[in-house]
Amino acid sequence: MRLLASTALAVSLLTAQAHAATDIDFFFPVPVQGKLAVEMTRLVDAFNSSQQDVHVTAVYTGAYDDTNLKTRAAIQAGKPPAAVLMSANFIREYVINNQAISLDGLIGADHETPGQFIGKFFPAVRPNAMEGGHVYGVPFQNSTPILYYNTDAFKEAGLDPEKPPVTWQEWVDDAKKLTKRDGATITRSGLTIISNYDTLGWLISGLSMSNGGDYYNRGWGGEVYYNTPSTIGAVQFMDDLVHKHHVMPEGVNDANAVANAFFAGRTAMMVNSTGALGFIRDNMKLPFKVAFVPRAMRNSVPIGGASLLIPTGNTPERQSAAWKLISYLTSPAVNGGWSRYTGYFAPRMAAYDLPEMKDYFAKNPDAKVAVDQLAYATPWFATFNTVGVRKAIEDQVQAVLSGKIKPAEAMANAQKAADALLRPYVEQTALKLPE
Amino acid sequence: MSQTIILTARAAAPRMRMRTEIVALALLAPSLIFLAAFTYWPVFGVTLRSLTQQRFGQNASYGFDNFARLFADPHFSTAVHNTIVYAAGTILPSLALALAFALALREQGTLTAALRAILVMPLLIPLVAASALFVFVFLPGGGLLDYYFAKLGLHATNWLGDPDLALAAIIAITIWKNTGYYMLFFLAGLAGIPEEYHEAAKIDGAGAITRFWRITLPLLGPTIAFVTVIALVNTLVQIDHIIVMTGGGPSDSTNMILYYIYQQAEQNMDTGLASAATVICVGSLLAISVLALRTLERGIHYES
Repeated sequence: MRLLASTALAVSLLTAQAHAATDIDFFFPVPVQGKLAVEMTRLVDAFNSSQQDVHVTAVYTGAYDDTNLKTRAAIQAGKPPAAVLMSANFIREYVINNQAISLDGLIGADHETPGQFIGKFFPAVRPNAMEGGHVYGVPFQNSTPILYYNTDAFKEAGLDPEKPPVTWQEWVDDAKKLTKRDGATITRSGLTIISNYDTLGWLISGLSMSNGGDYYNRGWGGEVYYNTPSTIGAVQFMDDLVHKHHVMPEGVNDANAVANAFFAGRTAMMVNSTGALGFIRDNMKLPFKVAFVPRAMRNSVPIGGASLLIPTGNTPERQSAAWKLISYLTSPAVNGGWSRYTGYFAPRMAAYDLPEMKDYFAKNPDAKVAVDQLAYATPWFATFNTVGVRKAIEDQVQAVLSGKIKPAEAMANAQKAADALLRPYVEQTALKLPE
Repeated sequence: MSQTIILTARAAAPRMRMRTEIVALALLAPSLIFLAAFTYWPVFGVTLRSLTQQRFGQNASYGFDNFARLFADPHFSTAVHNTIVYAAGTILPSLALALAFALALREQGTLTAALRAILVMPLLIPLVAASALFVFVFLPGGGLLDYYFAKLGLHATNWLGDPDLALAAIIAITIWKNTGYYMLFFLAGLAGIPEEYHEAAKIDGAGAITRFWRITLPLLGPTIAFVTVIALVNTLVQIDHIIVMTGGGPSDSTNMILYYIYQQAEQNMDTGLASAATVICVGSLLAISVLALRTLERGIHYES
């Protein structure tokens, strides 16, 4: 009797499963404006009604850091979401802590090799999505730093708005001409580089790599190159802008304050994310243009943005359901539409072959500059303990920008602090030798 | 007969007591369960974690390694130093201001009621919202503060971006936010001081200042003790403005103990260090509160 009942139950469950869709949850952050959450919900609804097998509940989980927190908490509680849109530089830590699954199997089920799959995305976004030759993340939205400049200020200073600075030397020369003074007080700075936590680390990595450096070990999360000539030079460059050339305000320049200064014409040039392009376009009343970030030895800008990953602890059924969602969100049409809506660039290369995207570029030439600069983009800083190791250099550079310490000593301090944070991982990997 | 009664009473007494205890326990149970689940259990958990040494890829062991690492961490000493400066910079001025306002506005009247409402206003604005607004007030060059300073001929100041000024800016907001709240307690305390004392003192020829020092202040002892403890707790638990405005920067200059705990737990994923810092933080808070309540309540024997 009991056997019969359980068989009946099993059969009914099986049939139920055959008909009912797999329910999965999807965590997504919104790092900028709130209207993006509405668009993401619309996309997920469109996915749900496009097929019968999977039903996705989209869960808005705050900023990038909050999403990271909530995902880790959910994994530890044994109830991981099936898919997460995660800040791309955290993927390495998920792999180190065994909290994200390799997507190779799901890619294989679609009759592709990992190489073929990741080859569909821009080369610059690939390293942050892979670890040890395996795919762990699928890039969804990306950005790089870019130079924004006020064309009226350029004309006023006798500069050609069609010829933005290309090298650091030209950058300093132009910034000097663009700086307006009232006695000792600067009324318009020539250039402002954002220097609050998080953005500062991102921008220094770009300056350091442009100055010939590698900044961090791209293949293994246990090394950073802070106390090196390339990074010290980059920090010295920022120090000089403030304390030698007097073209940048002293102290920490918060992203919000910098954008406001740019809108009000109080800074002629700024370095900001391409992801802010829509926001700047909406709020800037004065005419402006964008250009590549000027170079020292080579053009180099770091990648930022987010990738989709599947946390560990999901059943194979939920994994393949999540994979269907991920494939949908990163398909050329959807990925391109999201790019036009948000201002991020679409990591999926084929998105740019679509006619809608060509129209968009014709109307918004500044968006094209951002995509063209991708040819010079480098991966995003990712180590064991990424945030802490990044803060180690940020604290020191902020002290430099405030005139409290000189770059060489600052970078020696930063290296020491970073090495201490990396030590537990280094001991378990590179220094764990055969006994 | 009487003997039996005594015997029954004796037998019944413990049973009665037990029953009262069960009833008391049942009545207390709802709050006890919540206290146990959300206060005592976490306290136990944090203490245990602070003694658990778990580094990446290694098995857990027990000891005081987390505390040793904590005291060796320069970020922690900076956070402790900042918290002490912040506590001294916020508690004394906001208590003094709150008391001054309470004394000035203790009389009932339309004008005093309106002024009281204005002073209590910051209490009604959530700290997060207030901080988001103050970011714009402090905006270098274009902010409200610099707008008026420019009229005085002062140049743009990077209030939140200068490591020498950022903590002072945070302190100023905290004083603005909390003074009205503390004033409410002082108003209540002042209302509890019988008017006869002042009248008697007046007849004896005591001036206003003498009456303040000899009557008002001593009788406000319990209120001051209470408000001091509240203010102390606030300095440790109110970090919304730090998260919104500075993120602990520039260069850790506005980092506080609670924000440090958050950084260790959520950014560096170092629960051992975070738990050790929590134990130290809560432990010293407890010690200071007990000390504050004891010293300030000592001189209060006037009431009966």
